[in-house]
This record gives sequence, structure tokens and C-alpha cells, in this order.
Amino acid sequence: MLYQVKKLVKKFGNTSVLKNINLEIEENEKIVIIGPSGSGKSTLLRCLNLLEKPTSGSIYYHGHRLDDKLYKSIQGKIGMVFQNYQLFDNLTVIDNLTLAPVLNKLMSKEEAISKARRYLRQIHLEDKENSYPMDLSGGQKQRVAIIRSLMMNPEVILFDEPTSALDPEMIGEVLSLILEVSREKITMIVVTHELNFAQEFATRVIFMDHGKIIEEGDKEQMFKHPRTNRLQQFLSNIQ
Amino acid sequence: MGEIWDSFYQTFIFEDRYLYFLEGIKFTLIIAFFSILLGLILGVFISIVRDFHKQTGKWFLLSKICDIYVYVIRGTPTLLQLMILYYVIFKTSTLSPIIVGILTFGINSGAYVAEIFRAGYDGIDKGQREASKTLGLNYLKTMRYIIFPQALAKIFPALGNEIITLVKETSIAGYVGIVELIKAADIISSRTYDYFFPLIIAAIVYLLLTFILSKVMKYGERKLNHVVSG
Ligand SMILES: Nc1ncnc2c1ncn2[C@@H]1O[C@H](COP(=O)(O)OP(=O)(O)OP(=O)(O)O)[C@@H](O)[C@H]1O
Ligand SMILES: [Mg+2]
Repeated sequence: MLYQVKKLVKKFGNTSVLKNINLEIEENEKIVIIGPSGSGKSTLLRCLNLLEKPTSGSIYYHGHRLDDKLYKSIQGKIGMVFQNYQLFDNLTVIDNLTLAPVLNKLMSKEEAISKARRYLRQIHLEDKENSYPMDLSGGQKQRVAIIRSLMMNPEVILFDEPTSALDPEMIGEVLSLILEVSREKITMIVVTHELNFAQEFATRVIFMDHGKIIEEGDKEQMFKHPRTNRLQQFLSNIQ
Repeated sequence: MGEIWDSFYQTFIFEDRYLYFLEGIKFTLIIAFFSILLGLILGVFISIVRDFHKQTGKWFLLSKICDIYVYVIRGTPTLLQLMILYYVIFKTSTLSPIIVGILTFGINSGAYVAEIFRAGYDGIDKGQREASKTLGLNYLKTMRYIIFPQALAKIFPALGNEIITLVKETSIAGYVGIVELIKAADIISSRTYDYFFPLIIAAIVYLLLTFILSKVMKYGERKLNHVVSG
């Protein structure tokens, strides 16, 4: 098992944002998390890579308690793709891609560059390798951000609304790259409102509301035969 | 015409007085150069210690010491700092006044430089640090390759201001007997009872110095420009 989340609680000040989350994630699962704004989706994702410290409860990664020490030792094996890309503004595309794998001694500079170029060809941005992020469109930035996380040979990638900052005409190119990546043996957890994408991508769907997991199951059950009122309501609201 | 020539002669040529000005310019340049250097080194170091504490919670004591240093330096006049170093701390030492001057202005500038860099780090989207963390980069690597270069580009104009302020501030070094440019001008005028040429020359030298510095900073700004994504 990749992740085991037990009685996870996260508070900001006095408000509980995650209330007793229990969750198990197997290797190679493709999970979509849906839920209304403020329901705690981002916070849950951010707990899974320690960008947020759980208030109580525990997270196990490959059966070991995920703490700072373990996180350090797995160096970039938990990748993340952010809503607003977060490419490094001061570095060119190729440097964005090669910086971390080289500094972490995953590969030599030459290996990193040729691996990066292969990925850039795959997403048809080979002519952008010396561009700075500010010269790319949103869709291009997000695709580079996705291959940047792939450069680390991750075991899991967390996606937090990867298309919600994009102009509509660029959403497709990013989602199809995510689908392409999903053929790899990488666990993927995606927070998104794109239900068509979820239909194609997900092996499991999780619905959150008010800091709790309200319902989870395969996409057939979740989208066609939702059991709870709240999920039914949520689905009819966004369709 | 004769009067002006006479004044010029008395100020610069008689008894080789121009040598005073050359000495003065030399010491002004030496003090300015080394205190800028010291200020930058101190300021960057202090800003990183404080930022490291802010990001990780570690190094509490060292960071507090840095806070106090910045607070004290910014809260007292530079002239007072100079006098305390010269008349109290290094009173019995044989340290040359030039060194005391460099230490004073460098230590002084370090506090301002630290604040400028802090504003730079704080102005960077915290997502940049998060992205770096998820790629397995630790604090120092993140600082060195991502945060510092971006901050530097953003704060370059403010850094330029600080450097120019510092250069002008070195003019108070005369108070502790360093014959820098202003002091040299003062010595000559007190002999000739004529302030015109000495002060004009001092002004021109300072203007030239700050002009060159601001050109250099502008050049640096252009070089770093691609970093500031607007
Ligand atoms: N750093 C923080 N400090 C205080 N409150 C926070 C913080 N981060 C999130 N919250 C609060 O926690 C709640 C859950 O936030 P979260 O971002 O996890 O929701 P979400 O499901 O991702 O929402 P959205 O769909 O809008 O992204 C919100 O009420 C939010 O205001
Ligand atoms: Mg969110």
C-alpha cells in the first residue's frame, strides 16, 4: 500500500479543515477528488506531501510514518503540480527541468538534459527549451510543470486543480498530457472539477465536503448512482 | 577673473594643496568600497539567518541576535555609531581610523541591506518554495538557486539606493579624524578662508561617484531583468 491515512485532522487556528480523514491508496491508483470550494481538497493533498503539518492523526507512506525525516529521504518521489504552475521564474525551461534531478544526484547533467529534451519533444515544446516561464502560455507552463515532476521519477504525483487557472482553449492540452502520464506506473491524485476528464481518468473518485470524505467509489457508482444527497446535489450543480 | 584665479591657486596649487584632495578622494573611495562589500556580506548573511529561522523555526537565538542588531543599527544615527566604535570600542586599540570607518559603515549598511533582502524574499510567491520542496530541494539549495536570484532581481533598485546613500554617508568619517574628501576640503578652506572651490570640488566628486554607481546598478538591473516576470 502506498498511502495509509489514519484519523487525519488539520486545524487552522480553531477551525477544523480536515475532520478525521481515513484513506488508503494503493500503488498505481488514479484518484480524482471532487468537492465544493473550501471542503478541504487542497489541504488534504498538501498534507500528503507535508506542505501542511497534520494537527493530529497519521499518514503512512509505504507503511512508514511520513515525517520530515522520511520526506527528506524520499527526495522528490512525491511530485506536485500546482494550480498556478510554479515554474521557477528565474530559470529557463531546460533549467527548470534539470535543476532538481541534478542537484539531488538522481542523474548527471547530461542525462538530465537528454531526458528533459525527450519530454519536451513529447509535449511539442522542444523549441522552448531556452525560454523563460514568462514567455510561455498558461497551458505550456502547466505542461512543463508536469514533465518537471516526471523528471524526478516520482512514485506519486499530486495535482491540485491543474487546469483551473487556464483559459478554456488550453485546458484540453493539459488534461490529455495528464491522461498520457496516467499510462505510466505512477500513482496519481487529481483534484479537479473536470468531470469528463474524471470519467476517462479515474479508477476511484472521492467526494469531500466540509473537511470529510462523504462518499467514495469507482466512477460508475459515483457519477451514475451517487448514494448521498450531497453528492447528488454537488453533481447537479456543476453539470 | 584675477580673483577667481587667485582663489583657485590658493586652493589647489599653493603648497601642493591638491594633494590633500587626492588623499581625500582616495580615502573616500577606499572606505566606500570596503564598507559596501562588508555591508553586502553582512546583510546577505543576516537576511538568510532570519529567513531560515522564519521558514524552518530553527536557529532561534542567532536569528534573535540578528533582529536586535538590525533594530539597534536602524534606530541610532550613523554618526553616533561611528563615535561609539571610535571613542569607546576601539579606544585603546591601534586599529587605523580607516578600518574603524569601514567597520562602522559596513556594519551600518549591513542592517539596511538585510532589511532590503528580507523584503525581497518575502515578496516571492511562497509557491516557489513549495514547488522546490516537492522536488526534494532543501532550504539552502532553494535559497541559492531560486529565492535569492529572484529576490536580487526585484530589490536591485533598492540596493542601488542603499549603496549610494552609504557612499554619501561616509562623508561623516571626518568627525573621527579621517581625512576623506569633505575633511580635506575643510582643511583647505580653513587655511584659505575660501570655501568656494573646495566645496564645489567635493560636490563634483560625489556627483561623479554616485553617477557612475547608478550607471553600474542600471546595467546590472538590465542584466537581471528577465527574472522579474512583472
Ligand atoms: N493556510 C490557511 N490558513 C487558514 N485557513 C486556511 C488555510 N488554507 C486553507 N484554509 C481554509 O481551509 C478551508 C479548506 O481549504 P482548502 O483550500 O483545502 O479547500 P479546497 O477544497 O481546496 O477549496 P477550493 O476548491 O476553493 O480550492 C477553507 O475554508 C480555507 O479558507
Ligand atoms: Mg483548493
